[in-house]
Amino acid sequence: MKTLRLVLLAAGLALGVIAYRVQIHNLGVFTTPARASAIVIGAWLFLVAGIVAWSRRPANRLGPLMTAAGIALLLRQLRYSHDGVLFTVFFIVGELSYWVVAHAAFAYPSGRLTDRLERLLIKSGYTITFFFTIAILIFYDGSRPLRFFDRAPRGSLISISGHGEVAVTVQKAFVIVVWGILGVVAIALIVRKLVRATPRARRILAPLLIAAITVGLRAIFESVFTFVERPSAILYEYLFWWQIAAFIALPVALLAGLLRARLARAGVGDLVLELEGTPPQGIRDALSRALDDPTLEVLFWLPERNGFVDAAGRGAELPSVDNRTITTLENAGEPIAALVHDPSLLEEPKLVEAAGAAARLALENARLHAQTRAQLEQVRESRVRIVTTADEERRRIERDIHDGAQQRLVALALQLRSAQRRLMDGSDPEVDRLLAATVNELQVAVEELRELARGVHPAILTEDGLAAALESLVSRTPFPVDLDAAEGRLPAQVEATAYFVACEALANIVKHAGASSAIVRTVRQNGLLVVEVEDDGIGGAIAANGSGLRGLADRVEALGGRFRVESPVNGGTRIVGEIPCAS
Amino acid sequence: MVLGLILCDDSNMPTALIVDDHAAFRASVRTLLQDEGFQVVGEAEDGRSGLELARALDPDLVLLDVALPDLSGLDVAAGLAGGRSKVVLVSSRRPEDFGARFREAPVLGFIAKDELSGPALSDLLEESL
Repeated sequence: MKTLRLVLLAAGLALGVIAYRVQIHNLGVFTTPARASAIVIGAWLFLVAGIVAWSRRPANRLGPLMTAAGIALLLRQLRYSHDGVLFTVFFIVGELSYWVVAHAAFAYPSGRLTDRLERLLIKSGYTITFFFTIAILIFYDGSRPLRFFDRAPRGSLISISGHGEVAVTVQKAFVIVVWGILGVVAIALIVRKLVRATPRARRILAPLLIAAITVGLRAIFESVFTFVERPSAILYEYLFWWQIAAFIALPVALLAGLLRARLARAGVGDLVLELEGTPPQGIRDALSRALDDPTLEVLFWLPERNGFVDAAGRGAELPSVDNRTITTLENAGEPIAALVHDPSLLEEPKLVEAAGAAARLALENARLHAQTRAQLEQVRESRVRIVTTADEERRRIERDIHDGAQQRLVALALQLRSAQRRLMDGSDPEVDRLLAATVNELQVAVEELRELARGVHPAILTEDGLAAALESLVSRTPFPVDLDAAEGRLPAQVEATAYFVACEALANIVKHAGASSAIVRTVRQNGLLVVEVEDDGIGGAIAANGSGLRGLADRVEALGGRFRVESPVNGGTRIVGEIPCAS
Repeated sequence: MVLGLILCDDSNMPTALIVDDHAAFRASVRTLLQDEGFQVVGEAEDGRSGLELARALDPDLVLLDVALPDLSGLDVAAGLAGGRSKVVLVSSRRPEDFGARFREAPVLGFIAKDELSGPALSDLLEESL
């Protein structure tokens, strides 16, 4: 294959010399050494770029396509020969050469035409051009010069004499249809390709496709000039150099694309060094830079979960959308991580492979880190579940007390009171006294049950919310309490946690603080419910020592919040719970 | 669910309706009310049937539990506001166990269930006169 490329390169270079000489010797005043050599250099650039692409990426068809485009552009010049065979053969090849160029531009970077419309355009281009050129050659008899040719007649091998005028008309129609109409379609499809590309693919495609648009515009101008009898020579001169510039830009853009991939692969060396000092959460950013893909996501495989998690240990699904592609990195047959990236990176498998290899150790570390985070997350979720379940259980117990024993005792008290009333004829004062004492005892029992139920979980908290529950709590506290409670409902576990913070804090003040007054405040700020209880007592409380305060801290922290006690000796106590709340 | 309905009416006795989901409590209250000279014309175990019966029977007194299985007793009280019936809320909880809506309910008053007695009811009814 290498020999074939060398042969083609040598043949192309030699062909360039021939193409130059054919132009100079046959076109007379219609060309100049500068113009002839510019055309050859443009074609050579295609050839060289094609050979380079071919040798770098032998499996990619773009290299052979670009090489073919370069050769075809050189062969196109042979049509200017006054030899009948060369003119006939290369008149056809010459017009087809532009479609090889278009084919390469649309096939970049994979070397394949993947889009149905683009495939249709290129096929139509080849076919229509072929039949038009055959038709022109059939009618061309040398009596009228063809467009782009000098006035000297040439011999078409398939000519029918006497139709020179028809040949010129068919050529005009060819320029309008192929260069004009198909040119517009080609530009529209290029714009569509750019619009539909992912940002990364757009950056790679843009230079090449803009050069292709420039060539396309030149073709469209040519089609417009078929309607002008004699366009200005200066304008034609400008347009010629425009065309040359665009033809040079096309292979240069391709080479730049190739160079970019090589530079990126060279950058992988830096990635190894960079990753040495990168914390696990920074690996994504380092890889994103190395792969030039800002949309990159890194997910880690956790065998015990049989699934992927993100760097924070949260469960994650691999996306299954068209504009994301997944590359799984493995170590000894076991997946470590998955890179979710821009599909354009599939065109650079060696880059992804190299980056993955460079980052393997760091990714393994990050995976372990993510595993720990995932376990912590599980513990956190479990703590929330414990708090929530305990609250539900407390609510259930409160309802059971209220609906069960409490109701029965109340009914019993009422019945005894009725019995007492019916016996109030004074016939047996002892029975009357006993009944009265029993009713009193029952009332005490009902009151105790009520207190118990309230302590387990106050119904007012469930039914009317935190502010009402705190108001009720404060009203039962045996010293003045200033209450400032935020209105509005919050998730049940948040309300319950805030309530129990205030409840325990007030109970502690009653038992230990020797305070004369207290303040209870709840505020919603920055996604947190802050509950604060402050007293003017003796201070000196330590969260770690009191099981009540420790339990509150556990409860607040289980919901992802923070709990702190500020209690300087003789300086009062301030207890603050900050509980994340969804709204 | 409507549990009991007396259609014949002794016009000299004040009529009462009991709305409470606890059967034992309803039975005890029925005796208590009858002892107090009320004719208990109906019983309901939930808020909706309580509302329905109260509108149909137009009793002089509705003894209404605050916590009912479907509607709140406060919703029932709001539904009866402006009518002829005097509504007395009852609960085994204390007034401080309820929020602002309870304090603003359009009712004659509140009696804790364990303190419910003929004199407590009479005092409340007399206050309203």
